[in-house]
Amino acid sequence: MTNYPLPVKQLLDGELTLAELPPELRAAGEEALGLVASVDRTPVTLSPTLDARVMAAVRHRATSRARRVWRWFATPRDLELRLRVRPWAAWASGLAAAAGVALLLTRPPARVPAGAVAARVATPNVVFVRFVLYAPGAKRVAVAGTFNQWDQTAAPLVPAGTGGVWSTTLALPVGQHQYAFVVDGRRWVADPAAPAVDDGFGRRNSVVAVTAQGARTL
Amino acid sequence: MDSRNGTPDEAVVRAVLAGDVELYAVLVERYRDRYARYAARMLGSRDAAEDAVQDALVRAFDRLADCREPAKFAGWLFLILRNRCFAERRRNQRQGRPLEYADEAVAGPERSDGAVERRESVQAVEHALGQLTPEQREAFVLKHVEGLSYDEIAGLTGATVASLKMRMHRAYDRLRDLLKEHES
Repeated sequence: MTNYPLPVKQLLDGELTLAELPPELRAAGEEALGLVASVDRTPVTLSPTLDARVMAAVRHRATSRARRVWRWFATPRDLELRLRVRPWAAWASGLAAAAGVALLLTRPPARVPAGAVAARVATPNVVFVRFVLYAPGAKRVAVAGTFNQWDQTAAPLVPAGTGGVWSTTLALPVGQHQYAFVVDGRRWVADPAAPAVDDGFGRRNSVVAVTAQGARTL
Repeated sequence: MDSRNGTPDEAVVRAVLAGDVELYAVLVERYRDRYARYAARMLGSRDAAEDAVQDALVRAFDRLADCREPAKFAGWLFLILRNRCFAERRRNQRQGRPLEYADEAVAGPERSDGAVERRESVQAVEHALGQLTPEQREAFVLKHVEGLSYDEIAGLTGATVASLKMRMHRAYDRLRDLLKEHES
């Protein structure tokens, strides 16, 4: 095997020019540049029917019954609620809600599994799941996953004091969900308290299984 | 002009996920040719590239809910296409099928008498590229065909710049050997 000397490789990488090569390497440099110049860079245009074929496959998948049902459950929707109330009624409702929350918080906590993910059953199909991450020094933390279309802004965690512990509680539908924490809007972190799976693209997602009895990490 | 053409990827992805399936055509039109040359150079022919791009676009639709950062749909789609190209190459290697370059994938129509020599030279290099490992060939194609920097390639593939340079330097040496064999 006849290796190119390192300066010739640096020439091909664009880190050196031909004039910067030692005279004894210039011939090898010219030969190497000739090799790279022979590479075909002709643009490749695909068949005009490609779009139609892709969209036919996409429509077929989108109209399958199971997929329609899943999308109905899984897709977030924007809801606008307009109320016309008298101020005294709003205050009374607020006080009633606050009393309800206080009552709820003073009840003994439900038995929850250990680990970063704890859960409390809200309804038979929706369970409150608590997400906790120790991230000292973070300015903001959020949890994104299949339950919120990986939206980095949908579920921010709040700091619990100044110790670097962040947490939030989400109402999740029964089922298996993949998720990850997003620290400072750019760093994706798998939950250290939960096993992770490969997402198929070289990154790791944590997994939580939500059942009517609670939530557990897989 | 279709007013949807200027819609950012993120908005299109979210609209498709919300049920507007037809809007996926915007992404198909936007990205169908962007990575075609990469796929053709990785797989050796325009037909193989077309199958790979089609599969990648359909697979991306299937997994659209897993796209963590819809604003970076292009890079995410590239990873799907890249996995598809590598899988096909490995499948062919297991079956003992060498990468064969079709003429249309490696050279345009001849334009002058001197083009014959140029075409032979191009075909020799393309044939040699087919002998590299998929990782070496990808690094070479992205740098010297697509014109990306090492940093850009690292951002696309997730490899470090140091490992990319190592792959590339091995590719240079291997190409040199293969072309000398070809000449002799």
